[in-house]
Amino acid sequence: MRKFTALIVAFFIIAPLGILFYKNSSLKLSLLPHKVDDTWNLHISVKPKDPTETSVSFPLPRQGEGIRVSDERIKSKGFETIIDRNDDSVMMTWMSNEPIEKKVSYSARIDIIPLKIENLKKDFTTEYPRGMTRYLKIPELSEEDDEGLKLLEQAIYEGNEDKTLIARKAFYYVSEEIQRNFKYRTLGDALNIGRGTPLVKARMFAYMMRRKNIPTRILVISKLPEKDEKSDGRLFFTFINEIFLNNRWIPVNTNLGTFGELSDGFLVFHRHYEEIEPMISKKKLVYNIKVNRAVLNKFNREDFRKEVIKKSAFFGSISLHRMPLPVQTVFSTILLIPLGALVLCVARNLLGVPTFGMFTPILLTVFFKETSLFFGLSFFLVVVLIGIAERYLLDKFRLLAIPRMSIILTLVIILLMVVAITGVAEFFGSSHIGYFPIVIVTVFIERFSIMLTEDGMLNTMKTLLGTLVIAVLTFLIYSIEAIEMLVFTNPELLFVVVAFLILIGKYKGYRLSELIRFRNLVMQMKSKK
Amino acid sequence: MKKLGILGINNRIGRYILPLNKRKNYPLVDNKVKTALRAQAWGIAMPENYLVIENNGDLKNLASQLSQQKSFVVKPANGSQGNGILVIIEVIRDANDKLVFKRSNGRIMSLGDIKHHISGILSGLYSLSGSNDIAIIQQKIEIHPVFEDYCFGGIPDVRVIVINGFPVMSMVRLPTRSSDGKANLHQGAIGAGIRINDGTTQNAVIKNRVVFEHPDTHKDIRGLVIPDWREVLDLSARCFDMVELGYIGVDIVITPHDGPILLELNARPGLAIQIANQAGLLPRLEKISHQAPRGLNARERVDYSIANF
Repeated sequence: MRKFTALIVAFFIIAPLGILFYKNSSLKLSLLPHKVDDTWNLHISVKPKDPTETSVSFPLPRQGEGIRVSDERIKSKGFETIIDRNDDSVMMTWMSNEPIEKKVSYSARIDIIPLKIENLKKDFTTEYPRGMTRYLKIPELSEEDDEGLKLLEQAIYEGNEDKTLIARKAFYYVSEEIQRNFKYRTLGDALNIGRGTPLVKARMFAYMMRRKNIPTRILVISKLPEKDEKSDGRLFFTFINEIFLNNRWIPVNTNLGTFGELSDGFLVFHRHYEEIEPMISKKKLVYNIKVNRAVLNKFNREDFRKEVIKKSAFFGSISLHRMPLPVQTVFSTILLIPLGALVLCVARNLLGVPTFGMFTPILLTVFFKETSLFFGLSFFLVVVLIGIAERYLLDKFRLLAIPRMSIILTLVIILLMVVAITGVAEFFGSSHIGYFPIVIVTVFIERFSIMLTEDGMLNTMKTLLGTLVIAVLTFLIYSIEAIEMLVFTNPELLFVVVAFLILIGKYKGYRLSELIRFRNLVMQMKSKK
Repeated sequence: MKKLGILGINNRIGRYILPLNKRKNYPLVDNKVKTALRAQAWGIAMPENYLVIENNGDLKNLASQLSQQKSFVVKPANGSQGNGILVIIEVIRDANDKLVFKRSNGRIMSLGDIKHHISGILSGLYSLSGSNDIAIIQQKIEIHPVFEDYCFGGIPDVRVIVINGFPVMSMVRLPTRSSDGKANLHQGAIGAGIRINDGTTQNAVIKNRVVFEHPDTHKDIRGLVIPDWREVLDLSARCFDMVELGYIGVDIVITPHDGPILLELNARPGLAIQIANQAGLLPRLEKISHQAPRGLNARERVDYSIANF
């Protein structure tokens, strides 16, 4: 190989890898976005305990920081449903004219991202907006409990602390000194015996905070099953707190002992238990909450985007992750084209696989990606059958070539209509069908049917198989999400693809198909010698 | 395989075709109309073109023009591998005084069928690039008596690979029933390698399988002597001067009375010729590239080839 070519190839391989290395080690930018570990399918069913009740209410997870809710489905046939949404929580009420006998249900998909708040600064706030008043209200306490709290405060506070430090001190006390025990259900138990249910601990912490003028609320949450934990997926309510420091809500878990963080193992149902306490008590209703893990290992593009922009102005400005979502979607499809071209070149020039046209396999792969592999293949094969049938039938009409191709195009559109009307596409897993693949398929059909008459069924089928194999192979490679993400995140890798294409372009050796084609010749020539 | 000197496609394209064949000269070879014009200028005989049809409108007078011929061949100007070629061996007036056409395989076509085929050619169905093409109505060559027992349903052609003007390897393609009378190896015609120095056949293959006799006529294929062999070689060598392409396949047909004439030229000749000759092209290509003297005229180049291959 000439020096110049070798130089260019080397440059195209080393330079992008160098950029990758720089990004990874110096900028500490990860090669791929991180994975979102947990997506859950949630199902709630509720029924009032009193059989004459005509309405029932329940809290639902609310979309917000750390939680994404999608695919909500509410069973509400025969019911009037009211959704009460405020800044922090959602309450759903089912109402009917008759007593509610059957359970009502709700299901959704939940994505949870862990929350961690770092660098908690000192807080000297004294005034709070009116909306905070309910988080500062302390209920009537018995004299004993009031005394007990006073003593406690004298013991742990020095009197000069800022609010953050006060919160921490109270937190340490409640989480370390009060043992969790489901038998002891009153504040008195906690103060005097040092034991209490999670709710009692949460209340105690809340009152302590409010007495120091720190807005605090009690959250209704559920602990989600661990990865290897064997459970039936049933969830039960437990309680933690949130305190308002430096203008934001900080989660505090006195049961687990975490301050300022909430792992993705918890699902928040409501952020102000005191408001809904009477509605969801066990006396009022019977509930069943179930979860199971849904999709695992999804890439978290959103956070990665922020990471890229934060860590480097240059790479942030040129990153594809910055593009609006529709543009990103388009790119994540078309970035497979260079990859497909590479597979195609290897298949044609190194192996000798025959294909229809030069780029038909790649375009087929795009078609498969836009719909689904199963649907794409089935649709394609049906179109092939139409093409074969058409060739034999339309021959009798003796049409000019272009109108004939137009008839095929129309037939393909009709086929698509049939697919849409019968809803078969949904069954196959595709959500929409792109425009241009249809044209590709038509052009392909004409070449296909000519080859059929000129070269016979066997050769045509071989070429068809070659085309399909390459298309499917490229599709499978690209479906490895890591590969798509890698190229999308680091598009300089395309130059590496170019380098390999140059190398293949220079290759003068035999193709695999030739080794097969000439093997008889080789045998005969060798035997002559 | 490399030791045996077999040439593969990648090597053919990379080492020989790309350096030796200038892209701008390709149309002279790909477009049969242009080849015919060039050949005329150079005094190289080709089958006579009765008619050149460039658009559908020209088809209006097709009937009167075709009725003047006894036989003809319809070809796409830019076709390859014999696609789109229609051989009409007889033009007849039927009982209703309508023109009908008998094909080489015996089937009858109407005027409408012929027009339909031609308009398919014009739309580019058979052209290399898929874009609009020109249809040629050409003289049908009769078979030379020497070949009668070696062919079924059509006429044979002789292919010579010419490197920088030196003929290096040759084969004759003999039609069979399975190739539908066409001299197309992919469709089942016999490829018989011809020795350059004396013009006799030695080995024969059908699709990679060695054969000794014609499957339809049962004649032994070995030892067939190509008539006017020297002229065949001279003609092929002169094609180099005509089109200035360093790696070409020259297809020649032997007429009964007028000797060898040029049928068509190929800028990307296939590699099956190696199988037909049971020999690799590489040693011969290397010899021409490195050892053959430069600046020879066509006759001198043929002398060299005869002496060496």
